[in-house]
Amino acid sequence: MPRFYHDDPAWSDVTPIPQLESGQVLAGISYTAEYSEAMSYLRAVMAANEYSTRVLDLTEHIISLNPAHYTVWLYRAQTLSALNRNLREEIKWLNPTALKHLKNYQIWHHRQTIIDRLGSCDGEQEFVEQMLEKDAKNYHVWSYRQWVVRRFGLFGDEGERKWCEGMMERDVRNNSVWNHRFFVVFGGLKGEVEEGLLKRELEYAQDAVRKAPQNECPWNYIRGVLRQAKKPMSTVKEFAKEFADLEKPDEVRSTHALDLLADIYEEEKKNDEAKTALDLLANKYDPIRAKYWEYRARSLDSAAVEA
Amino acid sequence: MPTELRLHVDQHVRYIQSLDTRKGELEYWLTEHLRLNGLYWGLTALHLLGHGDALPRHEVLDFVFSCMHDNGGFGAAPGHDAHMLYTVSAVQILATLDAFDELEARVSGGRQEIGQYIAALQDLETGTFAGDEWGETDTRFLYGAFNALSLMGLLHMVDVDKAVAHVQRCANFDGGYGTSPGAESHSGQIFTCLGALTIAGRLDGVDQDKLGAWLSERQLKNGGLNGRPEKKEDVCYSWWVMSSLAMLNKLHWIDGTKLATFILQCQDPELGGLADRPGDMVDVFHTVFGIAGLSLLKYPGLEEVDPV
Repeated sequence: MPRFYHDDPAWSDVTPIPQLESGQVLAGISYTAEYSEAMSYLRAVMAANEYSTRVLDLTEHIISLNPAHYTVWLYRAQTLSALNRNLREEIKWLNPTALKHLKNYQIWHHRQTIIDRLGSCDGEQEFVEQMLEKDAKNYHVWSYRQWVVRRFGLFGDEGERKWCEGMMERDVRNNSVWNHRFFVVFGGLKGEVEEGLLKRELEYAQDAVRKAPQNECPWNYIRGVLRQAKKPMSTVKEFAKEFADLEKPDEVRSTHALDLLADIYEEEKKNDEAKTALDLLANKYDPIRAKYWEYRARSLDSAAVEA
Repeated sequence: MPTELRLHVDQHVRYIQSLDTRKGELEYWLTEHLRLNGLYWGLTALHLLGHGDALPRHEVLDFVFSCMHDNGGFGAAPGHDAHMLYTVSAVQILATLDAFDELEARVSGGRQEIGQYIAALQDLETGTFAGDEWGETDTRFLYGAFNALSLMGLLHMVDVDKAVAHVQRCANFDGGYGTSPGAESHSGQIFTCLGALTIAGRLDGVDQDKLGAWLSERQLKNGGLNGRPEKKEDVCYSWWVMSSLAMLNKLHWIDGTKLATFILQCQDPELGGLADRPGDMVDVFHTVFGIAGLSLLKYPGLEEVDPV
């Protein structure tokens, strides 16, 4: 049901400020007319610096029509402060609004402002989870989650890590979860990576590879963990060979394992083996990136010459 | 490449020209908050297609100037608040149309004003940039600032070293870059980070082989590129991924023929325009990035695009 203001007594004191071209705008579609009229009332209240309950209603209405209009959010946040509103109520309203508009930037920024002012992240984990049920790789949701971790000091937090594991059980190919795990586990870390932590993280990623050997995410994670811990890649040599053994060139189960093996052999100065792995990638298992694998093979030669 | 696949230049030109005549349609008004971006995308696509004069220059400039605020920033459309993204689009349009003199004629000291608006959005503590007074920061805004300032010859107005240090902090464990330190690697953000570093002449701090490998992993079996690991392909990543590879001189690491075929399959051959993937609805955003992608692949008949 479209909502209009021109015949609403609560708005009779406001003279709307239409946009220059609005004569043409109103042609035809009622939804467009509704939006256009609501905007002309917003311009009017903004020009008068009005902060009131009806302004909150108006912004809510415009947001429901077009949540990407950032001016509206800005003015809403200013109005909330000016009126000293209960921010928990704002969050209650925001939840279903966010669920309706998954790809919207402004909504998250607004939420961040409100939660920051509230100074508590109670209920945020549940809310984020609800959002992710709709789109598990939504960049805004994950960025927001990182903000919560930073703002409320959740680095190294076991609950946060277990929550990631729950998300991973739903989809082990969700790179956003892998990134978040890395962020939580290593983001707040100062100094060296302890052996126990290294072992736990490697085993976690290795189990994930066993579920889906061609999944790029845990392989990247393993490399990231090793680099963070300043360990050689050969730490996982036997593991990589489970999926790609040069003795059995017809039974390669993961291009990422071959790629890692090539690096491990290079590290061990076994250039012939490294080359065999890269040849298999270029010619058999991953020809779409042949030029890249060939480049890697040539770099082996030049490194050998320099040595 | 199958011979029946070709670029439908005339249809795309007409599609872009038609975008501004749809004022009776709902979609036109719901995308009002993107108007100036849309104009830049359309104009760029036309230039790449060799039809830069297909939009009336004078009217385009009138519209751009009507979006300018006293503080030197631009809004998406007249009456909209100023924002970094639209200010960058405005500067890009002015540069494309070689219209900085007209800017000065209409607003004396206009370039300087725009430069000041952008410079004021830098966070002097972290070096990154906000999009507007509201304070959302993102490496997109940092790149936008560098791009616009360098087009105006005003890069010295901001703290370049601090901004570069911020970009370097956005590097992730997998070699990619995100919107802010720790945020997931994403092809679009990699483009903005590499673009900013290229403008600053500071690619030295980038692990180029590792990043190039991550970028080339974005190509899927059907030739299309995705934006993040284990996601679907989308035409717009033809631009974000390829331009990034081009800035690293590693464009040949992916299969250009397969990618060109994929992009051409995303065209609407009758009404013009390109979609995110074959069979979907076209829009101006995917149209420009698909065409720019083909230009990087040196598709015949297209003007050459600068990856930055």
